[in-house]
Formats: sequence, C-alpha cells, structure tokens
Amino acid sequence: MLKLENIEHYYDHVYALKKVSIELNEGETVALIGANGAGKSSILRIITGLNKPKSGTVTFQGKAINKMSPSQIVQAGIVMVPEGRRVFPYMSVRDNLLMGAFSRSSKTEIKNSLDQVLERFPILQERYNQSAGTLSGGEQQMMVIGRALMAKPKLLLLDEPSLGIAPKLVAEIARAIIQINKEEKVSVLLVEQNSRMALRISHRAYAMTTGSVAISGKSADLLEDDRIRAAYLGGEV
Amino acid sequence: MEQILVNGAYLGAQYALIALGLTLIFALMNVMNFAHGQMYVLGGFVTYTIYGQLGMPYALALFVTAITLAVVGAVVEKFLFRPVIKRSQRDESTMLLAAGLGFFLDAVILLVFGEKQRGVPKLINGVFNWDFRVIMPYDRILIFALAVACIIGFMLFMQYSKTGRALRALAQDRDAAQLMGVDVDRYGMTGFALGAMLAGIVGGLLVTITGVNLGMGGPTSTKAFMMVMIGGAGVIPGAIFGGLILGFMESILLSTLASYGDITYLVIFVSLMIFLAIRPNGLMGKPWG
Ligand SMILES: Nc1ncnc2c1ncn2[C@@H]1O[C@H](COP(=O)(O)OP(=O)(O)O)[C@@H](O)[C@H]1O
Ligand SMILES: [Mg+2]
Repeated sequence: MLKLENIEHYYDHVYALKKVSIELNEGETVALIGANGAGKSSILRIITGLNKPKSGTVTFQGKAINKMSPSQIVQAGIVMVPEGRRVFPYMSVRDNLLMGAFSRSSKTEIKNSLDQVLERFPILQERYNQSAGTLSGGEQQMMVIGRALMAKPKLLLLDEPSLGIAPKLVAEIARAIIQINKEEKVSVLLVEQNSRMALRISHRAYAMTTGSVAISGKSADLLEDDRIRAAYLGGEV
Repeated sequence: MEQILVNGAYLGAQYALIALGLTLIFALMNVMNFAHGQMYVLGGFVTYTIYGQLGMPYALALFVTAITLAVVGAVVEKFLFRPVIKRSQRDESTMLLAAGLGFFLDAVILLVFGEKQRGVPKLINGVFNWDFRVIMPYDRILIFALAVACIIGFMLFMQYSKTGRALRALAQDRDAAQLMGVDVDRYGMTGFALGAMLAGIVGGLLVTITGVNLGMGGPTSTKAFMMVMIGGAGVIPGAIFGGLILGFMESILLSTLASYGDITYLVIFVSLMIFLAIRPNGLMGKPWG
C-alpha cells in the first residue's frame, strides 16, 4: 500500500535520512521505533509532503506521491497526527474536529464520522464547545486522533501519540489504535519512542538508528530479539 | 459628551474594519502590510469613479470596489508576497516588499487619479439632531451602519463558514492546517484578497463623507498598524478593540486637547509607546507564529 524506496534527506547539510526503505501493506499496523533524533518524524513529514525528500520515491497505492502537495496527499487518503499534537488551540473541539473533515464534502458523511468519533472518545463530547488549548494532554491526543479520523483516512500516521501523556491514558490510546486498525480497517504507521507499547500493538516494525533502518521484522519476534531488547527496550525483561 | 462618544463610535467602526484586514493578512502570512492605507485610498478612488464620475448606483460602486481590491490583493499575494516568502528566510524581506508596494500604489494612484482631493455627491441629505446633544448627518449614520454590518458579516464568515474555519486554522497552526488538507497557497491568497477587500470597502465608505486624496494612504497605514499593535497582532477581537480605542481616543482627545494646539497625535503616540512597553503583545496578543 505504502512504499518508501531509498529515501535520502538532509537539513542544512546534516543528514537526517540515509537510504531508508519502508513498506506497509494494507490493513497492517507498522511501528517505527528509535531514539530521539533517529529520523522518525522526518520520514512522516516526507510521506505527508510537508518535506520533500532529496532523493528516493514514495508510492501510495501504486502512485508516486513524493511530488504531490500536502493537501493532495490528504485527498489521496493519508492523514497524520503530528508530533506534539498540534491542536488548533483557540478553536473549539467541535471546530477542530470539523477541520479534520476539511477534505470531504458530503455533510451527512461528515456528520456520521463526527458521531463515530464522539462515541469512540466520549470525553470529547463533554469538552465539545471548549477551546482545544484548555484540554489536558491526553484529551488533546484523543482529539487529534479523532480529528484525523474525521478525514476518513486509508492510512493513519501517528507521531509519538504517547509522548507526555499520563500512563493510564497511554493504555487507552493504545487500545484505540488497535480498534481503529481492526474495526475501521485503517492501516496505521505508528512512530514511537515507547518501543514496548509500539511493538505490542503492531504487526511489523522497523527499528531506526541515526537516519537508517537497523533492524526490521515481525513485532512479536522483535520483542524477543536481544539486540532490540538491549537498544530499544532498555534491557529489561 | 454624547457627541464625542458618537463620533468615537463612528470613527472606531471604520478603523476596526481597516485593522481587521491588516490583522487577517498578518495572522495568515506573517506579513505586516504597510500598503494597507494605499489599498484603502485605491478603494476610495474606485468608488469615486463609479459613483461620483459615472453616476452609477452607490451599492454597485461599493460592490465593484470590493471586487477590485480583492483582485488586487490576490494578485499581489500570488506574484509578489508568495515568491518572496518562499525564497527568503527573513521577515524583513516582506516588510520591505510591503513598504515598496505602498510607494508603488501611491504612484499608480497619482498617475491614474491625480493628486487632487476628490469628493462624491452626498448619499442622503439631512441631519439627525437629538436636542443639540448629538448631531449626526444621516449619511454618516448610514456609513456607520454599513461599517458595523461589514464587521459583523466578516466575523460570522470567519466563525461559521468552512473557508473562515480554514483561515483560522491556517493562522493558528500552519503545518496542522496543511495536514487537514488546507492548500496554503490558495487560502493565503484568499486571506490576502479578503484583507485588501476590507481596506477597499472602508475607502469606498469614507469617500462619501470625507472624500479621498492621495496623501491619505501613508497615514492610514500608520494608524492601521497602531490599532493592530494596541489590540494585539493577528487576533480578530484585538483588531476591533484596537480600532475602537483609536477611534475613541481621537474623538475624545481632539475635543479636549483642542485648546492646546495640534497635539492629539503626539499624545496618542506617546501613550501607545508607554502601553507597548508594558504590554508588548497588545491587549489580547497571543503568540500566533
Ligand atoms: N527542521 C529541521 N532543521 C534542521 N534539522 C532538523 C530539522 N528537523 C529535524 N532535524 C534533524 O534531523 C534529525 C532527525 O530528526 P527527526 O526526524 O525529528 O527525528 P525523530 O523524530 O526520530 O526524533 C535530527 O538530527 C534533527 O536534529
Ligand atoms: Mg520525532
């Protein structure tokens, strides 16, 4: 469904990505793990068109998308929840969610999606008319996942959804990701520093070190892999 | 006293409309449009030509003015500001560009319309007189009402339309808005067109009261900039407050300081400096990138 081939990227002559190739099949949840600065967000920004790769290609459902604009890529069905949530702080929860549906036009379908999102995250119903900036971190994270779902994505990109969120809510968000993948048949590319959580809820994973993919495989296998345990799971059992 | 307040409200409504356009452009593009006053003057001259010269209905003149300035705004964004923003890392570049555009529009207005003060026939005759406490010509009341209607219309548009929501989203988080599918080029252009249109509409409104001349551009840009600084750059209610505050200050100080000579603007500038030293972000300035 999604295929990155030999992606290279650098900022001001500093290499961020070296020959990165990643693949995601329809229906999968794929995790991308790695330390801070490994290049995970850069990959997502390239997939969404916010950054253009210096070389390499990105194909989505057989079409090259690496020259398309971010809004065209959203139209194609790829939607990202960015790192640090990035809510529209002075807009109500309602308006934030409606912004998610910006690329769609059918009012009744948008209404259906809105009902689904509010059902999935009931807290958003309670906060419906509040400014998004006044929500807690966990509530904001649910809102931006809901906002992305409002676009009815085929592929959902999540950049560190557990970052700065209370542990109890991390479990809730992990559960929501599994459900979105299973029930709504949305493919998911999950970027996480919380490697244990990411490996538990994904089918396959890529582990990155400074700009390139070091190890990849089935998530269940990687959880048992000694190299992964040492480098990504803090050596715990 | 009532008279001063009524004058203040009248001035403030026009000013608020000018400031709204300027703050919209700033919020969306991070561009301080120093040519805003010239756009206002251009709007005045378009209305003058269609209503005053050609004798067409005023409503039509105002409509054509709005469209003309929207087109000017769109063209200026697409061919001047957008390429400069794409290539330059520094805010100074767009400031220079805006200032240069102001001089350019001044020159165009001089060539096309000349340097003379121009007026148009009165819209309606007669004067409203409440016991000699408030005296207000009917045409001023009409222009005041039109300005208020435009402000309300603009706010409703920003709050409830899909385009308005996209513009707000773009101002609050550019990347996130793009990730929702907002085309930055298209909506940047829309916002610039809207901002220029608001400036033009005020020109078209005020030409019926005070007339229009080439020299009004620069000072109007400065005033618009001040209002936005008072209210807080990039914030819609801030622009409205800034406009009203400047309108009332002008009206109150002009009458109370009249006996001390022409010092109204000196007092306004000094108070603005002190105010900004205390609140650099203005009344409701939020750190909108
Ligand atoms: N806008 C930028 N300008 C310059 N360097 C950047 C920028 N964004 C990221 N980098 C650098 O690129 C590398 C990869 O960053 P990033 O993709 O954010 O990693 P991760 O998401 O895995 O933490 C880092 O060395 C980071 O400092
Ligand atoms: Mg990151």
